[in-house]
Amino acid sequence: MRYLNRRHFLGAGLLLGATSLLGKETPSKPIAIPQEFTTPIIAFPEKKPMVTISDRPPLLKSSKGRDIFTQAITPNDEFFVRWHLPDIPTHIDLNEFRLEVKGSVNTPLSLSVDDLKSKFEPAEITAVLQCGGNSRKYYAVTGQATHGVQWDHGAMGCAVWKGVRLKDILNRAGVKESASWVGLNGLEKPAMEETPDFFREMEIKEALEDQIIVAYSMNGEDLPYLNGFPIRLVIPGHFSDSWVKMLSEIMVMDTYRTSFFMDVAYTVPDNDCECVVSGSDFEYKRKPIAAMKVKSVIGYPSSNTVIKKSSKVKIAGVAFDQGKGIKEVMISLDGGKSWSAAKLGQDYGKFAFRPWSFEWETKTKGNFTIMARAINRIGNIQPLADEIGWNAGGYQYNAVDSVNVKIV
Amino acid sequence: MKKLLILSAFLAATAFAQVDKPIEMPYVDYPMVQGDHDEVAQQYCLICHSWGYILNQGKKSRPYWTGTVQKMVNEFKAPIGKEDQQTIINYLVKHYGYEATSGQGH
Ligand code: HEC
Repeated sequence: MRYLNRRHFLGAGLLLGATSLLGKETPSKPIAIPQEFTTPIIAFPEKKPMVTISDRPPLLKSSKGRDIFTQAITPNDEFFVRWHLPDIPTHIDLNEFRLEVKGSVNTPLSLSVDDLKSKFEPAEITAVLQCGGNSRKYYAVTGQATHGVQWDHGAMGCAVWKGVRLKDILNRAGVKESASWVGLNGLEKPAMEETPDFFREMEIKEALEDQIIVAYSMNGEDLPYLNGFPIRLVIPGHFSDSWVKMLSEIMVMDTYRTSFFMDVAYTVPDNDCECVVSGSDFEYKRKPIAAMKVKSVIGYPSSNTVIKKSSKVKIAGVAFDQGKGIKEVMISLDGGKSWSAAKLGQDYGKFAFRPWSFEWETKTKGNFTIMARAINRIGNIQPLADEIGWNAGGYQYNAVDSVNVKIV
Repeated sequence: MKKLLILSAFLAATAFAQVDKPIEMPYVDYPMVQGDHDEVAQQYCLICHSWGYILNQGKKSRPYWTGTVQKMVNEFKAPIGKEDQQTIINYLVKHYGYEATSGQGH
């Protein structure tokens, strides 16, 4: 095989004038990184400079670190970005773009974004978008490191999504009696034909639930290109692996279609704890990750913050769950020995970040571990870090969050 | 393989032939340690994603890197022969990991 490095590869795309990320014409001035590697902070289209874990496909998180989680609504230009496959169109012509609805339906549909905006009743929901692998790197703190992108808490955000109910689209097409699954696909494509496509499936009865929408607006604006312009699926309360970006196809199916990204990736052991009790993860029957688990993240302060004695610190963060609603967030300032309730902020709905805060007057010098622990309305509570069940994919991390600060 | 790659770039080009103003994506040159046959890693590991994916993993054990390379081949169909797989694993362990055989395995 011929030597083919990435630059040649991009060059090949250039010759053909391709307009996908795969064949970009840009490599004019590659951004060089010093040998001592720290993940670069780079501005992508419609984004503030963000921590760039990868440029191709783009994996970006806010450069503010935890601080982004002192707000209930994450701004579009700081919202995390996570694609899976490198071949993403760099331009969408709205005159040409269509969402195709096909398969086991009475009337196949081919809908423009305009059709979605003008021919359907709009629906709006504030919901947390969280990658199934968010916070994955913390599994390595108390147990084994897991495969996958080593995210800190940066792969989540909360936005106001507006669009059309998936249910309304399916009903307009008329789902046939025989239909039992809905397949969803977007415009991101693999570099090699043999690599499995990032294709998602959900049961028809789930797809018909009220809260699922095909969103064309995020926080009152068009979706940022890198968050899935022009439309993406929004499944409130669920991890984001099925929130298909640049959604282009809804395929109603009579039978389930097996695929790597459904059956192997984004799965956990199919037992009560959804974790490995003994042996190897893949000896277990699998189940796809779906509903999110109750979680809170400390937005301020971050670890290693030095604070003056006798100051008033406003510890702040966000909490959320699968959509039952947050009942309480407890704060500990002594590494988990004693707990007191934080003040819950504005309620943006049961699928949204619930902001919380806690006033702390720093009376003594020394090192402190601040912890936050959320409980939802059905009594789900975050596990302590050393009690969380482990899975090889590093999914659904939701242990009690903690930061260490120093009072001087 | 090269043909295939170009073909997929070409398809994307035709699908969006009417493009007037595509977004401009920055291109990042993630550093790769030289030596120990880095050219083999370059040849294969940049086809589907940037080297940022590898740097993001931090230092990992031999079983971890072996598992990752196998995942690329088995699940994502990376077209890498057995010998080249071993070369890449050795390169990753030496420059992006450590030898321990237990602890961080699959
Ligand atoms: C045929 C395409 C392909 C090739 C070639 C390839 N990878 Fe991957 N790789 C993928 C895909 C697809 C993913 C998952 C992408 C995602 O979900 O973002 C991935 C993910 C990864 C990750 C993230 C962690 C994980 O476990 O998912 C690492 C690390 C990685 N690859 C390393 C490598 C190395 C090292 C090589 C060279 C031996 C390589 N890849 C070659 C397709 C490929």
